[in-house]
Amino acid sequence: MSSCIVADHLSKSYGSLFAVNDISLSVKTGQVFGFLGPNGAGKSTAIKLFTTLIRPSKGSLTVLGIDALKNPLLIRHKIGVVLQQPSYEPTLSVEKSLDKYAMMWNVPKPERKKRREALLRDFGLVEIRNKRNEDLSIGQRRRVQVAREFMHDMDLLFLDEPTAGLDTSARRKLLDYLKNKVKTGLTIFYTTHILSEAEYLCDEIAIIMEGKILTVDSPDALKSKFGKAKTIKIRISKERSDISTLLCDVSECTVDFGNNNNNNNNNANNGNDDNNNNNGNNNLINIVIHSEQSELILSRVLKILHDSAIEIQDISAVPTNLEDIFLKIMSDDASGN
Amino acid sequence: MHPVIRLVNRNLTISLHPGFLIWQVIFPLIYIFIAGFAYASLIPQIPFAGKSLDYPAFLASGMIGFNIMNSTLISGIILWNDRRNGMFQQILVGPFTKNHYIISNVCTIGTIGLISAVLIALVGYPVFFESVEFSLLTIPLIIFGSVVGAILFGSLASIISLKLRSSEGFNAIINTVFLFFAFVSSTFYPVDNIPEPLRTAFYLNPLTYLVDIIRAGIFGTFTEFVLLEMLILTCIAITLFTIALKLFTRLDF
Repeated sequence: MSSCIVADHLSKSYGSLFAVNDISLSVKTGQVFGFLGPNGAGKSTAIKLFTTLIRPSKGSLTVLGIDALKNPLLIRHKIGVVLQQPSYEPTLSVEKSLDKYAMMWNVPKPERKKRREALLRDFGLVEIRNKRNEDLSIGQRRRVQVAREFMHDMDLLFLDEPTAGLDTSARRKLLDYLKNKVKTGLTIFYTTHILSEAEYLCDEIAIIMEGKILTVDSPDALKSKFGKAKTIKIRISKERSDISTLLCDVSECTVDFGNNNNNNNNNANNGNDDNNNNNGNNNLINIVIHSEQSELILSRVLKILHDSAIEIQDISAVPTNLEDIFLKIMSDDASGN
Repeated sequence: MHPVIRLVNRNLTISLHPGFLIWQVIFPLIYIFIAGFAYASLIPQIPFAGKSLDYPAFLASGMIGFNIMNSTLISGIILWNDRRNGMFQQILVGPFTKNHYIISNVCTIGTIGLISAVLIALVGYPVFFESVEFSLLTIPLIIFGSVVGAILFGSLASIISLKLRSSEGFNAIINTVFLFFAFVSSTFYPVDNIPEPLRTAFYLNPLTYLVDIIRAGIFGTFTEFVLLEMLILTCIAITLFTIALKLFTRLDF
């Protein structure tokens, strides 16, 4: 598979501040490449570099086989870009803004009409086609902005937080639309804060922090690389308050008496309803195992519980998701691991 | 289609709304037909380049230059709105360069300036038809004035919009500058009778040159001095356009 974007030791500095610091990456043609990072990590600056809006301070960059420093205009003829910042013509109607945008891209008139009608339908814009952009809600305006980009042909599409302002249904529709587009050969470079989106859509993911790429891999590979530690939860009756003493020799195992969440941080961000429900149930104690060898520890804990005649109320494994991986990589980087 | 033509098409679509067109015609009409005839009782005849003109005729010809200047406000407004509404970046990640963008702006205001001049010439014709002296120079001089004037004032409006961040600041500065240009020029009154040092100030104002050139075209009063005014106007236009282009090229994202 050929590479669509090849960045080699690419940097962009503003004075002494490096917004993008010596990044090297290769984006394969025909895939969705996710670019994740916290606010101010350098995602938008990287997109501006890749779309030739700004020039790098150092390094080389090839997009679609074209040298970005030598021929940026040729690259821009072949890419589509949805920037994070809203962009619209306030006085134009939805229909007219799609049409004018295609005209700017030199799309022939009959083709414009065909594409416009299809996009109005696909993005649920038919009912607001005659509304002026300035009268639209933020979500509707965002939908128009993304739809508009499909009025012209392109080989590579950059999407910088495209679902910002969209409701859940519109968000899922857009992700499915993008998935279908990728099947037709389009390559997508996608930045988002919403990790479930990246997990759903992306073939490969790069995590960027403070202008540097920390890791690049597929979501599954990232999970197996950074998500070896599994979380297993056992619930027992609160009558056995000696459980802490019984388990004091078992490492990587914590006991939560349900008074607070402090001992159960690994699951705090998962939005796990069971966890929340249990915290409200004062009759249960949580035993939480979080380890790369959770199965081994589980067998030890089960033996102790069995030997002590403690009845298990419930047992569950919490699946590792991309958010856990992301937070782990961020915290590893912050602590210099 | 060339990228500049596509951008001009887009600029005209977003700029030429009915309100603007009405303002472009109604505003000069008020000046020509109300102020022109009202002041005519105070200023019966105006000596101009060896001729004697009615005040409405003098004013109507001045309004052509004034309207060209006014229409170039669009250049600053397009740039301002594009930056505020994100279209500036969006266009520049598309198949366009910064040069395409600024040249298209100049072409847009040149086109609007020319249309504006023709509209006012048509509307004002009834008041100056008795004094008109058509010659081979009439049309070229009006076109020259429209295009060079549009580049000059359009570049100025672009410079102001590139330098200012708040819309209040932009509106305050642009209106003050253009108001100064309008009233310290030969649009409303002949320069000959103005006392010093106001007279000198009139000749520091490019609108004076623009109006003189348009009048020379309409009333057939082309002289060496008008030729000098054309040269000065061209030089100022080139200088301001170069500054606008430099500022624009340096603009970072």
